[in-house]
Amino acid sequence: MELMKLEIVTPNGVIFDAEVKQVTLPGSEGEFGVLPKHATLVSLLDTGVIVIEKADGSEVAVAINSGYVKVDEGKTTCIVDGAVALSGGDSDLAKALEAAKELLKSAESSNTAIASAVAKVEQIGKSF
Amino acid sequence: MANLKEIKRKIGSVKNTQKTTNAMKLVSSAKLKRTEELAKRSRVYAAKLTELIEEIAQKMQQSQAEGIDNIYFKDVPNPKKVDIVFITADKGLCGGFNSQTIKRVNQLLSDYKAKDVKVRLRAIGRKGIDYFKFNNVELNDEIIGLSAAPDFSQSAEFISEVAESYVNGETDKIVLVHNGYVNMITQEVKEDHLLPIDTSKLELNAVSTSELEVEPDDDDTLLDALVKRYIEYTMYYSLIDSLAAEHSARMQAMDAATKNAKEMVKELNVKYNKARQEAITTELIEIISGMESMK
Repeated sequence: MELMKLEIVTPNGVIFDAEVKQVTLPGSEGEFGVLPKHATLVSLLDTGVIVIEKADGSEVAVAINSGYVKVDEGKTTCIVDGAVALSGGDSDLAKALEAAKELLKSAESSNTAIASAVAKVEQIGKSF
Repeated sequence: MANLKEIKRKIGSVKNTQKTTNAMKLVSSAKLKRTEELAKRSRVYAAKLTELIEEIAQKMQQSQAEGIDNIYFKDVPNPKKVDIVFITADKGLCGGFNSQTIKRVNQLLSDYKAKDVKVRLRAIGRKGIDYFKFNNVELNDEIIGLSAAPDFSQSAEFISEVAESYVNGETDKIVLVHNGYVNMITQEVKEDHLLPIDTSKLELNAVSTSELEVEPDDDDTLLDALVKRYIEYTMYYSLIDSLAAEHSARMQAMDAATKNAKEMVKELNVKYNKARQEAITTELIEIISGMESMK
């Protein structure tokens, strides 16, 4: 399976930088998935959850409040304002879930977007 | 003997000053480390954001024959109204750090005055505010506390207001002046033209191979959002940069002060010893001459 580079950058630094199989992004016009060799694209990102399928097949979720994404053939760069990664051990995860919900609720976006993102975060929390 | 006592008191006082300046130097160097780390991390974000703007601007330039038709990119050859935003520290004791920025602002003021341009000043940091108030120069904005502890939402709020006056046409150009960090021993006054965004400075290298898709479809929505973010972030980054420079300047100033104090103590010690010897000599002469007269 082909891989592509994914970078997630926040004002506090780079939080994710690795080769991935696939990534699903919360675009402002709707959620979309990106696979390697995607056509060049720039999009606004809404409040939501970025789901990453890593090279080893495991999934990682990152909750974001808003930002931009630039996709080109071999590389996807997300520039986001605030992000919380949902991963790690049980206690870390619980903390991360709380932080993610807080971040989503404080976002300046429509209530429906926030509600659906929070629901998604809760669902991810259960699936672990 | 009074002289001796006085010198001793002076030595004690200089030694105390030395302790203070040395402590300030240590505090500054610790703070500098933290701020430097913060600046390093945010630099990545700033670089990516600029890259993205460059790419979109380039795309728009290619698709539109007459260049980019967006309020943030329009070219104003002869601005009539200019806003100068400048950052100084809230505290002194940092060498020429604040005065360098103020000097540059003054220079800009006289330059624009010569060209008959209306200038509005927006000050961040107590030292700059105090200076211009003392000289009876009107300030449009006065913000204290932001330069000592940069906060993203607060700085974004401030610069959005400034940007709004640009969109409304109240001002033609926004210039940001701050004293930036170069390395541990050097600071440099930087002058950024925040708005309109200078397209000639962007690296518009025409090598884009594939068509760039944009979502939402309308270029302006995306570009507006991006430019807004870009301005907010440039402002925030300048604050961090300025803070790092402030700490490095203070570190240097305090280092020099500590060294000077050390030297002064040395000199005073020599003086003290000389005075002491002199007193002993005088006493001896007095005793001997007293003995002589007894004979």
